[in-house]
Amino acid sequence: MIDQGMDSGHSRRAFIKGVIAAGATVSASAYMFRTTILGQNSGSLPGSVERLITLDVNGQQRRVDVLKQETLATTLRYKLGLTGTKLGCDRSECGACTVLIDDIPHYACSVLTHSVRGRKVQTVEGLAAPDGTLSPVQQAVYDGQGFQCAFCMTGFIMATTGFLKTNPNPTRAELAHGISGNLCRCADYNKIVDCMMNAASLSRGA
Amino acid sequence: MPVIRDVMPAFELFQPTSIADTLGLLDRHENSWIMAGGLDSFDWLKDRIKRPEVVIDLGGVAELRGIREADGGVEIGANTTLTEVAGHPVVKDKFKLLAEAAGIVASPQIRNQGSLGGNVAQDTRCHYYRAGWPCYRAGGNICYADTPTAVNREHAILEADRCVAVSPSDTAPALIALDAQMVVRNGDGERVIPARDFFIGPWLDITRMTMLERGDLLVSIRIPGTFAGKPHYFEKVRDRQVWDFPLVNVASTMPTNGNTIEDARIVIGGVAARPLRLVAVEDAIRGRARNEETANLAAEIATQGAAPLRHNAYKIPLMQNLVKRAIRGEGQWTS
Amino acid sequence: MAQTPQPPAPGTPGTPAPGTPAPGTAPAPGTSAQALGTPPPPAQVFPPVDPSKFKLIGQNYQTQDLMAKVTGKARYAEDYRAEGMLFCKLMLSPRPHARILSIDASRALAMPGVHAVLTADDLPAPPPPAGPPPAAGSVPSAAAAGGVAPTAPQQQAANAQRAANAPAAGPGAVGAPGTPPSAAAVPPAQQTPQTPPIPGEFALAKEAMYEGEPILAVAADSEELAAAAIEAIRVTFAPLDFVIDPLDGLRPGGPNGRTEGNVFVGGEVKTIKWTAAQFDELAAGRFPQDAEHGDLTSWGNVEQGFKEADLIVEHIHYQQSTVHQPLETRSAMAYWQNGKLYLHGSTQSVARTVAAVAGWVGIPQKDVVIISEYTGGGFGSKIPGAQTMAIPALLSKKLNGRPVMMRITREEETYIGRTRPGFQAWAKMGFKKDGRVTAVDTFIIEDSGPYRRQGDNAQAANLSTLLYTAPNARFRGLSVATNTPPRTSQRAPGGLQSAILFEPLVNKAAKQLGLDQVEIRKINAPVNGSTFGLNPPAQANRPRPKITSSYLKEALDRGAALFNWEERKQRNGQRIGTKVTGVAVSQSTFTAGSTGVDGLFVIKPDGKMYIHQGIGNLGTHSVIDTARVIAEVLEFPWEQCVVVWGNTSQGVAWSSIQAGSQTTHAHTRANYAAAMAGKKTLQELAAAEMGGNADAYRVGGSGVSGPGGSLTWAQAAERAIARGGKFDGHEVPADLNAMTKASAAALAGLGVMGVARDGYPRDGQTYGFVAGFAEVEVDVETGVYRVVDYVGVADVGTVVNPRSLAAQIFGGAIQGMSHVRSQKMVYDTHYGVAIGKRMYQNKPPTILDQSVDMKWEAVNIPDPGNPVVGAKGIGEPGIGVGGAVVLCALANAIGDDLLKRTPVQPEHIVTALREGRVTYEPLTAYI
Repeated sequence: MIDQGMDSGHSRRAFIKGVIAAGATVSASAYMFRTTILGQNSGSLPGSVERLITLDVNGQQRRVDVLKQETLATTLRYKLGLTGTKLGCDRSECGACTVLIDDIPHYACSVLTHSVRGRKVQTVEGLAAPDGTLSPVQQAVYDGQGFQCAFCMTGFIMATTGFLKTNPNPTRAELAHGISGNLCRCADYNKIVDCMMNAASLSRGA
Repeated sequence: MPVIRDVMPAFELFQPTSIADTLGLLDRHENSWIMAGGLDSFDWLKDRIKRPEVVIDLGGVAELRGIREADGGVEIGANTTLTEVAGHPVVKDKFKLLAEAAGIVASPQIRNQGSLGGNVAQDTRCHYYRAGWPCYRAGGNICYADTPTAVNREHAILEADRCVAVSPSDTAPALIALDAQMVVRNGDGERVIPARDFFIGPWLDITRMTMLERGDLLVSIRIPGTFAGKPHYFEKVRDRQVWDFPLVNVASTMPTNGNTIEDARIVIGGVAARPLRLVAVEDAIRGRARNEETANLAAEIATQGAAPLRHNAYKIPLMQNLVKRAIRGEGQWTS
Repeated sequence: MAQTPQPPAPGTPGTPAPGTPAPGTAPAPGTSAQALGTPPPPAQVFPPVDPSKFKLIGQNYQTQDLMAKVTGKARYAEDYRAEGMLFCKLMLSPRPHARILSIDASRALAMPGVHAVLTADDLPAPPPPAGPPPAAGSVPSAAAAGGVAPTAPQQQAANAQRAANAPAAGPGAVGAPGTPPSAAAVPPAQQTPQTPPIPGEFALAKEAMYEGEPILAVAADSEELAAAAIEAIRVTFAPLDFVIDPLDGLRPGGPNGRTEGNVFVGGEVKTIKWTAAQFDELAAGRFPQDAEHGDLTSWGNVEQGFKEADLIVEHIHYQQSTVHQPLETRSAMAYWQNGKLYLHGSTQSVARTVAAVAGWVGIPQKDVVIISEYTGGGFGSKIPGAQTMAIPALLSKKLNGRPVMMRITREEETYIGRTRPGFQAWAKMGFKKDGRVTAVDTFIIEDSGPYRRQGDNAQAANLSTLLYTAPNARFRGLSVATNTPPRTSQRAPGGLQSAILFEPLVNKAAKQLGLDQVEIRKINAPVNGSTFGLNPPAQANRPRPKITSSYLKEALDRGAALFNWEERKQRNGQRIGTKVTGVAVSQSTFTAGSTGVDGLFVIKPDGKMYIHQGIGNLGTHSVIDTARVIAEVLEFPWEQCVVVWGNTSQGVAWSSIQAGSQTTHAHTRANYAAAMAGKKTLQELAAAEMGGNADAYRVGGSGVSGPGGSLTWAQAAERAIARGGKFDGHEVPADLNAMTKASAAALAGLGVMGVARDGYPRDGQTYGFVAGFAEVEVDVETGVYRVVDYVGVADVGTVVNPRSLAAQIFGGAIQGMSHVRSQKMVYDTHYGVAIGKRMYQNKPPTILDQSVDMKWEAVNIPDPGNPVVGAKGIGEPGIGVGGAVVLCALANAIGDDLLKRTPVQPEHIVTALREGRVTYEPLTAYI
C-alpha cells in the first residue's frame, strides 16, 4: 500500500526515478555526481592513493572514482545511489549516517572512502534479504511503528544491528547505551528502545 | 565567522602500511597531517581552517594497533580504538581506570573509530580557537576567551598563561594517573616520555597541547604494572551523558593499606591546558586515613592558586568535590 | 511503555457544545448557499462521539510510509538526483549587521565549472504592501483562502502556529462569529492600518541582519568547486551597530539592532531605552516596575487581584533562545520544465507551501509543483517550507531549468533554521489560602531576532490566563530586535516558555500554602467553556473567547494515580549520599485544532480508494492517521486505501498547516465531511443504477448494497465515471477551497469522488492539555541531575493513533526537558557572532539524558468542539510540561529561588548550593 509512485505522467519525474535505479548499479559511468576538475590532483604525488577503487558495499564489488578527501557518506549517497544513509550533521555528532564497516558501526560522514578499501561496508539497503524479507531490526521497527520523521531511523537501525552483534541480549539500559551515538530530534527514544528490545528478541530467534 | 564551511578542500592522501613509511612521508612532506581515527582531523578540515597538502592515513599501519601484555603492564598501540581499549580483558582487569575513561569518551561510533593516541593528542576545544580566530594558540597575539565579554564557561582556572584553553581528553588524566609512558618516534629514533610530561601548558609552547612536534609519531602507550588492580576512581562531569567533553574530570589511583593511603595519583582534566596531576594533594594525603577529613584537606589544597574567569568559577567547587570523591572512591553515576 | 487508552469515564460523554448547531457545510460569508442556488442544509444534531465504536480510529497500525522508511527507500529532499544536476553553496555573512556595499564575483565566475551566482538583486521584488502586517493571531488571507495572492509568505510562517484558533479570514471562515480574536495575540499597535511595513527577510540579504545570514549563492558542477568559488568572491561591507543580548539594546545609549530602532511594537520598529536607574534596579535583582514596555494587555484588575491575595510569589527568570534543529536540514533541489518549477523540499505543510514558494520565487501558484514526500522534522521551522527554497529555484531558472541541489549543512541550518525567542522575564502570582489564583502579572522581554515581533511573550501570558483561569491578569512586553538568527514559532511557541515561567511559581506557592501540588492545579484548572485571554486597553472589556473543552482535572487525577503521586511526593528532598530526590507535577496547554479545510478521495475502478492529502509528512503520522477517518465512515477496507501525499501535481486537498497542533482536529473533521459526502454520492449512485431510495442503500464492506442489488467498489467507480456529473467529481461543492477545486477538477472522471469542506460547528477555541509527573535525582556535589521517571497524561479528545500519541507525549516532554537541561545558543556579544554552532555545544537531548521508561495515558474524552470524531491535537500541549516539571522537581530537591535561568547546567546547582543563593548571572543572554 505504499504510495511511492508519485510520477503520474510526468516524464521528468520518471526520468529521475530511472536515474536513481541506474545509480544503484552503475557508478563509474559518464553520469557522475560531484566530479570536478577541482580535487583531481592532476600530477598526483608518487605513492599516493589511486582514485579509481573497488568497494565492497552490501556484498557487491563496486568500482568507483573517489576524490582523496571524499567521505564514505558522500560516496554512498552521491555515487552509489544509496541514499538511505542520511547526512544529519556531517560532523560525527548525530548518527544519521551510521553504517557498518566490518560489522562495526561508524559515522560514514567521518570516514574517508579510501580507508574502507578491502573492508565490508553495509548500509540499510543491504539489510533486507533479496526477496524483501526485512532484517530482524527492520522488522521490529516496522512492527512497533517506530520513529516519527524517521530521518534518523536508518542510522539507528544500523547502530542497533551492529550493537546487537556484540550484545545480543541487552537490558533496556544497555541497549540505550549501545545506540547512544544516534540522535532523534523528535525524541522518540522510548519507542525506539521498545522497538529495538523487540529487535534483540527477534534477532535471537532468527 | 563563517564564509563557507563543511566542504573539505582537496589534499593528497597517503596510506602507508608501516611506521617507517609513515615517518618517511612525514619527512618528505612539510605540510602534512596525520590522521588516525580522524575525528579531530575532520573538524579542522571541514572547517577549512587547516589546509594540509598531504594527509597521512594511519589506518593501514598494523604496528600501531593492538594491546600487548608486558612486564606486568600493557603496551597499547597508539591507533588502537577506544572501544578495543575499553573492552580489552586485561585492561578491564588490571587498569579499569583506563577502561572506564576510554568507555565514556563521546559516543559508541566515535569510540569504534577514535584511537587512544588520537584521544590524548587531540587539540583543545576552545570555541574561539576551533572557529579559526587568530588567537595566541593560532599564532596571533590575543586570547578571545579571556576578555570581559568572552564566554569562557569551559575554560581554565589554573595554569593559564595568555591562553585559557583546556585539555578535553578523558583518557589523558587516566594515563597520567597510571604512570603511563608515551612512546614517540621520528626520523631520529625513538624516545619515551612520561605521560605527566607529555602534556604541556602554554608556558612551554602556546601552540601545542603535547610534546609532539612536526615529524613525530606517537606509536604506543606503555602502562607499567605499578597500579595494576589498585583502587581507582574516574568521573566525568558533563552537560549531556553522550557526546560531550568534560567540564571537569578526575582520574585517580590510590593503593591503600587497610584504610591508609599508601600512595596516590590524582589527575584533573578540564581545568588547565594539560591534565593536572595534583602532586601537592598526593603528598598531603599519603599516609593519611581515607576518610572525609582527608578528603576535605585534599579539596582545600587542590584548587590553591585557581584564578577563575567570568563564567567558570564553578570549576573550583566542582574540582574540589571531584577530588573529595576520588578520595572517598564513590559517588559516581551508575548509568 | 504504551498503555491502552481508557474509555471515557461514565457520566462524562462528549456532549456537543450547547448553542447553535451550525449548518453541515457552512458557506463562506458573502458566498451564501442561496446565492449559489442550493438550499441551506438542515441543522445537524450530532450524537455524542463514542470512541469505543470506532474500528480504525483509536487502533495501532502500520502507516503506509513505514516500509519505505525502514528500508531506506524513503526519499527526503536531498535524496533526489537529476541529470546534469549542479550543486550550490551559500556565502554566509561573517558579520552580525552590515550593509553589503559591493560583490565582486568575477574571479569565481571565471572558474571552469562555475555556472552562476545569485545575489539579493536576483530575487523578485517584495509583493506590494497589502495593508498592515497580519496580526499575530490571524491567518494571513492568502494562506486561509486556499492561496491566491501570495503576500509575504514569510509572515505566513510567522503567524501560522498561533493561527489555529483565530477566526479564519478567507472565504468560508468558520470561526465562531462574533468571537474576537485572542486579545493578547493582537497588540494594539498592530491594529493601526497605516503602519508602513518593516523591511523583511529575504532568501539572500542586502543588509545582513545577523551573522550567518546568506548573502549569495553559487551554482557549480560540484560542492567542492562551489565552495572554492565562494572563497574567490570579494564582498565589501559597511558595518552597522548590532545587539546580541536584548538588554544591551535597552541600555541608555545602547546600540539598536535595526537602523530603524531597537524594539518591535506591533508592526513597527521603535526605539525604547531604559534608564540607568532602571538598570541599577535590575542589577540589584529587582525588576524595574516603571520600565517602558512595548505591549500592554490585561483582564480584570491586577492590583485588586493582588490585594485580595493571601500569598504573593514572584521571580525574575531567564529562558534561552534555542534553534529548532530538525535532523533534516532545509535542503532543496529545483528544476524547471515547460515553464513550471519543480521543487523538492522539506516542508511541514505541502499544500500550504505552494503559495509561499510562488511568492518567494515571484511566479504564479499554478506554475509551482512541490514535492515533499518525507520531511525530517520541522518543529515549526518549516511551516510553509523555507525561504531559502527560492535559491535553487532561481539559480535553476538562470540556468534554463538545469537542476540545482542546495544541500544545507548543519552549521547553515543552525543559522537559518529558525529559533525560539528567549525571555528575560518577571512574573508575579497572587493566591488565596485555598490555592485559587487571584492575579497574574508579567513583564516579558522577548528576544525577537532581527526581522519582526514574534509574540511568544504575549502568548505565554495569554496561556497563563487559561491554565490558571486567572480572574485578573496583566502583560507588559518588549520584543527587542537582536542581530541573531530569525525567530519563528517553535513547537508550542510561548507555550513552552509559559509553563517554565509560571509553573515553578505555582509549585512554590503550594508549598508555602501547605497545599498539595495536584490540588492547587485542579482548583485553578479550566473546564469546558472556560474563558481566557487578555485585551488591549482600548478594548478592556471586550468579551473573551472560550475553549471547547478541558479535561485537565481528569488528566491530573489519572497522572497522580499512574505515578503513585501520594506516596512518591514524600520523597521530596530525601538525600542518599550526595544525591537528592525531587518529585513534581506540572501541566501545560496549547492550541489544538482549526477548521475549514477540505477532504478529497476517489474510489477507482481498481477497487481502491485514493485519499488525497495536502498535509505534510513530518513524522506525526497525521497524514495517514486522518485519512483513516474516511475508511472508518465508509467501512471501506483499510488495506485497499492508498494515501496520496507529498506531491502537489497529483492533486491534493487544501489543508491546515501542520503546526499549532491543528492537523488532527482539522483533518479528522474535513475527511469526515468528505466521507459523508462520498457516502451520499455512493448511495445516490446505487439508487440511480439499481432503483429504490438512496437512503436504503448501505455503504461498507465490499461496496454498496440495498433493495435493488449491490455494486462492488470497482463497479461503483465504473458506473460513476459513466454517469459523470456529481458522481465522478465533475460537479463539486461550491464552497471548496480553491486548491481542492483545482485538484478535484484534475481528478474528475477517474471514479467515485468524495470531496467536501469541513463546515461542522465549533463552539469555542480548541486547546489540548497535558499533566506531567516526574522524579529527578540531583547530585549536590557535581550539579549533575537525571530525570529518572516521567508520566504524561493527555487531554486531547478522542485518541486517534495510540502509539503516535505516546510518541508525541514523550517526544514533546523530552524537548521541554532539554530546554531546561541543556539546549542553548552561545554568542560572543562583543563580536556579535555565534561560538557554539555544533551539536555538542548547543546540546540537543540524547537517549541517555532522561528515562527511557516513561509512561503515558490519555483521558480519551471526545472534544465536543470536534462533533464528528472528537479528536484534538497533541503536538504542542505536551512540551511545556516536560520542562516545567523538571524545573519544579529540581526546586523541590534543592530549594526554591536557586534556579533563575534555563538551561539549568551543573554549575548553577553547584554554585547555588555552595553559597545558598544565586551566584551566576541570572538574566545574561547567550552564555
